[in-house]
Amino acid sequence: MTSSLPDTVGITAETTAESAPDVSALKRTESPLGRLRHRPEAGALIGTISVFVFFAIFGGEKFLAAAGAASWLNIAAELGIIAIPVGLLMIAGELDVSVGSVLAGSSMTLAIVSGHWGAPMIVGIVLALGLGLLIGLLNGIIVTRTNVPSLVVTLATMAGVAGLTLGLSRVATGTTSVAISPDPFSKAVFGQLIGGQFEVAIFWWIGIAVLVSVVLQMMPYGNWIFAIGGDKESARATGIPVTKVKIALYMASGFGAALVGVIQTILYNGAQVANGQSFVFNSIIAVVIGGVLLTGGYGSVIGIALGTLTFAIVNQGIYYTGWNSDWASLILGVLILTAVLMNNTFRRLALSYKPRSAKKV
Amino acid sequence: MERTHTRRPHGRRLPRRLLATVGLFTLAASALTACASGKATDDKAGTATASAAAGSDSGAKSNGKVSVYVIGGKADDPFWSAVKRGGEDAAKVVKAGGGSVTFLGPQNYDNLGPDAAKLTLTALSQNPSAIVVPDWVPDSQDAAIKQAVAKGVKVFVYNSGGVEAARRTGGLKYIGSDDYEAGKAGGVKFAESGAKNILCVNTVPGAANSEARCKGIADGAKSKGATSKQLPLPSSNFGNPSAVTQAIKGALLKDSSVDALVTIGVQDADSAASAIEQAKAGDKVKLGTFDLSTSQLNRIKAGKQLFAIDQQPYLQGFYAVSIANQYLSYGVIPPQNPLLTGPLLVTSDNVAAAIAGTAAGVR
Repeated sequence: MTSSLPDTVGITAETTAESAPDVSALKRTESPLGRLRHRPEAGALIGTISVFVFFAIFGGEKFLAAAGAASWLNIAAELGIIAIPVGLLMIAGELDVSVGSVLAGSSMTLAIVSGHWGAPMIVGIVLALGLGLLIGLLNGIIVTRTNVPSLVVTLATMAGVAGLTLGLSRVATGTTSVAISPDPFSKAVFGQLIGGQFEVAIFWWIGIAVLVSVVLQMMPYGNWIFAIGGDKESARATGIPVTKVKIALYMASGFGAALVGVIQTILYNGAQVANGQSFVFNSIIAVVIGGVLLTGGYGSVIGIALGTLTFAIVNQGIYYTGWNSDWASLILGVLILTAVLMNNTFRRLALSYKPRSAKKV
Repeated sequence: MERTHTRRPHGRRLPRRLLATVGLFTLAASALTACASGKATDDKAGTATASAAAGSDSGAKSNGKVSVYVIGGKADDPFWSAVKRGGEDAAKVVKAGGGSVTFLGPQNYDNLGPDAAKLTLTALSQNPSAIVVPDWVPDSQDAAIKQAVAKGVKVFVYNSGGVEAARRTGGLKYIGSDDYEAGKAGGVKFAESGAKNILCVNTVPGAANSEARCKGIADGAKSKGATSKQLPLPSSNFGNPSAVTQAIKGALLKDSSVDALVTIGVQDADSAASAIEQAKAGDKVKLGTFDLSTSQLNRIKAGKQLFAIDQQPYLQGFYAVSIANQYLSYGVIPPQNPLLTGPLLVTSDNVAAAIAGTAAGVR
């Protein structure tokens, strides 16, 4: 954890010549726990730990065993691959609700090209992922060229892509559900169950999370995304290529959705037109639980990953408690509200870190 | 690795309004999802997988000859193509007698009830001697069906709606399966195969036909001394086979007394099969499902699945058209009402015939 932005911001924005030494002294004396309190993902971390402890108590040893862990890790991994780029978009102040349709479209593309038409797997996979990038590009161009809110734009592509997928699937295959028998190599890369339990998607998720964290940390891109989400006009004025960044982010979310489509198709040896829509709101839920502001400018990859884990634990934990799962959605609703309220508190703490400490002195 | 961005002191862009919009769209989207679930229910029941235009078979008008209009789904839908295949085979007899059979279907099922009602009126405008129609959405369709009955057209309700729909609208008979009876047959089969504790995985809880299927399973099991409870999966898992698989796996791990699983549709059955494997419960937990697909038949053949409940769509088309023709031509009609076309349990005993039937396009 190198540069913690709040420190720098606090010093540059708030400290005057005489208060600066006091601030650094304060910083040194604060315990690690106290500092954690001011991290943006503190709320998300507490959320994850609480739901884990909750279901560990009520779900018992089965929940804690490898198979139980696989349950929520698998769900978290697939959701996380989509939630990370969606979260970045939300940090940049935009939404993408077309991911569900992109997932269905890419999985049908793969199943039709490599399953129904019998082309080599790699061709289908490349086309499926390319479709995700293409729809992302389209979303990005429309959002940046017009002043239509991204919610409306991606809502339109959501419907459009869903219709296109259904229509083309019917024309190409006559059905809405296409089977595929993946070769061992693509099975190993995308759709293997390690130890009969853990999806390889978990590694994809970790890989993407690390990669995106590095980009956010080491490259100007990271700052640009936050700056755009904070204030697009100022960002543009300072020379940030707002349009390019946004298009790239949309392509990333399209790619993430397409990747999950490929993973599910290979894992389940087939694709269905109706799949994927559950990812639209589940990804937004995970991102919001992870502490990202719906209005943009605030959030972190670790927070998004924690939010995804929290969602997955709640989503699956209930089946280990033996309770009537009719209540699962209610628990999820309560959780979202609690998480958002808690995140608000921690965000206030994080953003008021230096000023408040400085004033005390 | 983390970063924050300080909020500007004033003028955040569209905060409240955006939130409100998102809220609105969330509502709209959940409504959409609800529709989608409803659609899937029908899909699972194999009832409403209808779409696309009239597969018109012959345009011959009724000039004293038998003229039957059949409303169903699109021919490239596997379920409805089997229904139509049965109807076409029965139509050969009708045509030999100089009559005609015409097949109609809606463009899609986004607006199934009203579309089916309009199709009924379209058929009625051709002065048919009989109409064969599924009562998918009684609230939307009943008025049109009653109108046909009032004009003296003989109406046969098939596939959906049950005998109540036939009685309510003045139809002569209901020809089709019964979700509750189908469930009972499955429950009995499970119990007879030694299952004691059956879990009915319901991915569309609250929908009439999936609830009827699970209730049938429970009652069938009870009559043979076994028990069954429902595992309702929330709609936030809809269309995500991983979530369904992991949820079923969790339920199996939690309750090790579960020794049988039944799903309300074939995609869920594929998820359940994977869940059983991941829970390493293959030798203990038996699997059954409603409806047929190639993967179900292959698993039954390989001994990995106990049964699939077939509502025999071919028979629905064949009987409906035959009975309409026989009644109009000779006044003969079987007394059973409803005339059930299912359930037939496909098990390892008869799976070979089912696979042959699939290849022939009638199963």
